[in-house]
Amino acid sequence: MKRLTKYAGVALIVLGVLAPFIPILIWSFARRWYFPAVLPTEWSIRGWAYAFSSASRLPQALWQSLLISGVTSLLSILIGLPAGRALGLHKFRGKTLVEFLMLAPTIVPAFAVAMGIHVVFIRLGLADTMIGVILVHLVPTLPYVTLVLAGMFANYDVNYEAQARSLGATPLQTIWYVLLPSIYPGLIVAGMFAFIISWSQYILTLLIGGGRVLTLPLLLFSFASSGDNNVTAALSIIFIAPAIVLLIISARYLTGRNVSLARGN
Amino acid sequence: MKKNIYLLAIVGLFTIVLSACGGATETSTEVDFSDWDAVVAAADGQTVNWFMWGGADNINAWVNGSIADTLKSEYNVTLNMVPINDTAEAVNKVLGEKEAGQDDNGSVDMVWINGENFRTMRQGDLLFGNWSATLPNYAFVDANDPSVLNDFGYPVDGYESPYGKAQFVMIYDTADVEAAPATITDLVEWIKANPGKFTYPAVPDFTGSAFIRHVCYDATGGYEQFLGEFDQALFDEKFGACWDLLNEIEPFLWREGEYPESDARMKELLANGEVHFDMDYNPGSAGNLIEDGVYPETVRTFVFETGTLANTHFVGIPYNSPNKAAAMVLANVLLSPEAQLEKADPAVWGDLPVLNPALLSEADAAAFDALPRHPATLSTAELAAARLPELQAPWVEAIEQGWIENVLEK
Repeated sequence: MKRLTKYAGVALIVLGVLAPFIPILIWSFARRWYFPAVLPTEWSIRGWAYAFSSASRLPQALWQSLLISGVTSLLSILIGLPAGRALGLHKFRGKTLVEFLMLAPTIVPAFAVAMGIHVVFIRLGLADTMIGVILVHLVPTLPYVTLVLAGMFANYDVNYEAQARSLGATPLQTIWYVLLPSIYPGLIVAGMFAFIISWSQYILTLLIGGGRVLTLPLLLFSFASSGDNNVTAALSIIFIAPAIVLLIISARYLTGRNVSLARGN
Repeated sequence: MKKNIYLLAIVGLFTIVLSACGGATETSTEVDFSDWDAVVAAADGQTVNWFMWGGADNINAWVNGSIADTLKSEYNVTLNMVPINDTAEAVNKVLGEKEAGQDDNGSVDMVWINGENFRTMRQGDLLFGNWSATLPNYAFVDANDPSVLNDFGYPVDGYESPYGKAQFVMIYDTADVEAAPATITDLVEWIKANPGKFTYPAVPDFTGSAFIRHVCYDATGGYEQFLGEFDQALFDEKFGACWDLLNEIEPFLWREGEYPESDARMKELLANGEVHFDMDYNPGSAGNLIEDGVYPETVRTFVFETGTLANTHFVGIPYNSPNKAAAMVLANVLLSPEAQLEKADPAVWGDLPVLNPALLSEADAAAFDALPRHPATLSTAELAAARLPELQAPWVEAIEQGWIENVLEK
């Protein structure tokens, strides 16, 4: 019975998450669909045909989006892990200030700083390059990654590391066998946050990438604003798909059941 | 010791970054841009980054297909079309580069441009100049056509090359509107007799702004008096009548006076049957939208007896483009009779050509005549007979601002 309720709950959540996409899915196949018709009066695959034609440059955009978001997530974790550890485990002077500075990019609109960053990046030769875009994507992703990992470390008992070391583990072995297994649900969540935030950047990519770096949002937004629902819907689904796949793959890590070394477990 | 390693790592990183940007600046050899053969030779192997509005799949498909193929096979030039939402994004980018001192290795090689954006770029010295007459295919353009020599009243002076023409048309659904209003006065009468079935996009929408100008041309007693430089006193004196007229019809508009925020939203309203009129700067767009299934088959277009605004759109080359030769080759391809003919085909795009048929070979001219025309699209002759010139950008800005202050916020 308990199991049944649980499955019903999961089904409801899945439905709640997927329901908004049903109209988009229908739009992507609709030729004429206007009020008050419940379903499109005419169907067409024009949107999909365009998305997969060479004219749409979808493969290039998809590849560059994946690469940028992938590398951004990895870098965010590499930078966010030590920061999160320090914030989660230690008390030090000015910690509140550091936390505030970490959060600042989520409060200040990225666009406000992006103009300045753009000028600096032009001078450094980073404008219009993929490296530049990845670096600027770190601005909005890092606060989330650091905070998620800080939360993870708040429940982490550092004594296990001392125990491992006293049993003869090298520092690398300690990281590999003790630290990483205990925080990896946090790593997955943080990585997903970073990926999805980077995946949906438009203005930062456009400004720093200068259009030479072509990502999916760039393709999508130029259609969304033109009112072409057919193509926009098809591109939207392609845009959303990786996020959903990621969510499904990582869903089992999100329960926290595998955290065996957390304090109080 | 540990700290030293970090320091070393940071210094190392910076060295890599700095050396990377050192390598990025390459010295381009001087090209004589007035010598076409030299331009074509210099373009060989270059990539041209063309920033253009990317919201229409048919235009994107044509540019990335036919035009990109021609560039590659005939000139070994690679086309990188950069889709943008708003041309101002590209203008700001060039401006940002200029401010950062990036004067010879900019990222924009070509922009699709006209009107206000052209004026902004000219006034900011952001455009490469005096090249368009060098293009061999410029010979097919009527060199005395005022709409090619001026862009919204601003002299072109060879700083951009014509690409296509646009003329404002009104769109209506014959299923709901018996006869197309012949004049603005007739339209006003219709609006009052059919509350809720008409509206126009709010500025800064390009199309909505143009509709307001049509009403003002009519209400102020003719556009001729506004053709020169902007005159604040004249503006204040004359435009009150226009705001009065627009305020008079406001309660009879869609939802008792709502303005959709964009032309795209406006199209949805007509498609939904919420309003019975629409408007567009491309005379062929209604036909295309019927073909795409967006508009019902009963939709047709018309122009006012007093005429509708016509303008030309162009392509320009930023002053700091490192691939000017390739951009010129692209502009020349866009001006070729073949490309202009393809572009004019409603199945491809349906954009009005900029070439003068009298200057073309007989075969080419005949091909233009033979182009299929959607029943909703007016003939070239009907359009040509109803052309009104655009005002200079400061007038347009003042009218937009005036509309916001006197109509929208009243």
